[in-house]
Amino acid sequence: MGDLNDIKKKRGIGHLDSPKMPFDYFNREYGTVPRDTKRAPFQWVSEVAYKNVHRIVSRGYDTTELMEEGYGVVDVLFVDYQARIPLIEEEQMLNYVMILALEDGLSPPAAMSRIVARTKTFLTQAAAASILAFGHAYGAYSAFGNRLEKYLKKADAEKLSLAEAAARLIKDWAAKEPESLGVSNLMLKDPAAKRMIARAEKLGVAGKYIGFMKEIVKAAQNQSKEPVDLDMLGATGAVMMDLGFSAEATWAILAVTRALAAGAHYIEEIERNPYMRLGEALTPKEDYDGPADRPVPPLKDRAKVARSGICKSVDEWAKAREERKKLVGSGYAVVEEIEDPSKKSGIKKVGKL
Amino acid sequence: MDRDPVLPRKTAISYKTEEKTVMRGYNLSDLAEEGYSFCDALFVLYQGRIPPEAEEKMLKYEMGVFLEHSMSPSAVAAIGVSAGRPNLPCAIAAAVSTFGGVHGPGAAHGYMLNKYLERAHREGKTPEEMARTLVDEYMDAEKPVMGMGQPQHIDSDPRAEPIHVKQEDLELEGVYLKFQRELERHFHERRKREGRSRVGVNVVGSGNTALMEIGFSPMAGWCLGSVCRGWSCAAHALFNMKKGRAWGASRNEPMVQMIDLSMIKYVGPEDRVVPKQEERQEYARKQKEEGEYKKWAI
Repeated sequence: MGDLNDIKKKRGIGHLDSPKMPFDYFNREYGTVPRDTKRAPFQWVSEVAYKNVHRIVSRGYDTTELMEEGYGVVDVLFVDYQARIPLIEEEQMLNYVMILALEDGLSPPAAMSRIVARTKTFLTQAAAASILAFGHAYGAYSAFGNRLEKYLKKADAEKLSLAEAAARLIKDWAAKEPESLGVSNLMLKDPAAKRMIARAEKLGVAGKYIGFMKEIVKAAQNQSKEPVDLDMLGATGAVMMDLGFSAEATWAILAVTRALAAGAHYIEEIERNPYMRLGEALTPKEDYDGPADRPVPPLKDRAKVARSGICKSVDEWAKAREERKKLVGSGYAVVEEIEDPSKKSGIKKVGKL
Repeated sequence: MDRDPVLPRKTAISYKTEEKTVMRGYNLSDLAEEGYSFCDALFVLYQGRIPPEAEEKMLKYEMGVFLEHSMSPSAVAAIGVSAGRPNLPCAIAAAVSTFGGVHGPGAAHGYMLNKYLERAHREGKTPEEMARTLVDEYMDAEKPVMGMGQPQHIDSDPRAEPIHVKQEDLELEGVYLKFQRELERHFHERRKREGRSRVGVNVVGSGNTALMEIGFSPMAGWCLGSVCRGWSCAAHALFNMKKGRAWGASRNEPMVQMIDLSMIKYVGPEDRVVPKQEERQEYARKQKEEGEYKKWAI
């Protein structure tokens, strides 16, 4: 491909021959990368499941054999996520949790499913959209569960009682992330969360997470000026972790459980309402509180009316940033830290030639 | 605190107050307290009724056997999305979204059965007679018969026949199973007669037959199957997020990764020069006239 590079070099391409470039652009090769024969070829590595022409095997158990032996869909969740057959009481408890997680009225997952449904999609698209509604507030299982783990470890390491660890957790997080505590004012009149804990205790599956959650509730009640109590996040999160599910597994299982009902919301939406076309939905002016209507300047006046976004000094930048925060929807008022876990994982033991 | 519904709607599915959540008339907490199973709750949700034990068992079996399918398009989507390390629900949503016209088309199979059963009703035929008509019409038109064949389980889908047998064992044989069994029998017979290889029933053909027999609509059946697969895909995504290498291209892994550069096989137009803006109009006109680009347009 030397010829092509020569032709391009002679013609020049924008700034690509700039001496500021850290490379000689016209000396870079074309074509795809040859197969790597020094390493093992790619395969789908899995600890979860495999299949061949004749069978599907999850964690060593043939899934058809599992069903034939009288296990069911809820048992397979233990197999898939924990590589074990659950005790009967554990299976009963997970059924209980999933019934409660199935339906939640017109909450975000149902709304997502219905909004997507109205644009005329497949049911699967709408159900999938409902899963996306399980963010760190509505579906705070990851933050909630990992925090429980962290403070239980802290209690061990620092020889704190569960009550002390719970008090510290509430002190550290009640103001910062109230949406993921598992205790709130959401279920002061609804006994469902407390009944779930009582059922776990009755079935003998309650363990350290439920024990700790109870202390968290007490600590929150002591520290809060408003009445608060165990909520559905606290109950389902603690029970799921006592059933052996990780915080992330809990998140996944309950989001999918809810999506099974989001499908019914999709169906009802299209049974009862017409599809919505592009441009059909209006946004009333009374709901608008942005800049007042103004004339679009003629393009020839652009240089006169345009405002630069460049900040030449840090002071200028800081001032502009504060100003920009005032424009709702610009993103300046939101800080979302995204971790990069890429260096922390990898399967070094798999694939050596 | 604003506790209004996210979307104001009239709904016959559920209501939620400060005191309770009620689905199709049943308080969810009471349903769980009474010892009903999650599958029972799905009957309440989609059919507004408590099912007999045998029907609950059938659903438990069907969803259980469908839940995990190792590497299929849905798991691949979940793993692919997880490579960028987004929030876990993104990987699960991607997995569920793969269910379309080919991967687990439960609703389409259901609609096909319903269409021919309606015809049987109209024309005074038995389900068996109409099943044979379906096979002949589809095969004469060279259209694939929905619910038959699986690209990986070429020697009979390990889930499919056992679902039929389970349905029979549970004495849940109705019009759908009669229809589907005859459809399969006639399909096999005709392929044999034509000297073609045997193509077995797949999990949609048998599983969806069972789901419809126990009262689920094609759409509800599709939801139960495709969404329940989300559970296993989440497990595959989680495994990769916790133990696999992010991005899927590291050259430090002993095995070539999923999107290693060497995995690309390019078969598109050859490398070429980008025209200058002053050449553009003439170049573009010629390109359009010659029409070679149409070979690549998608």
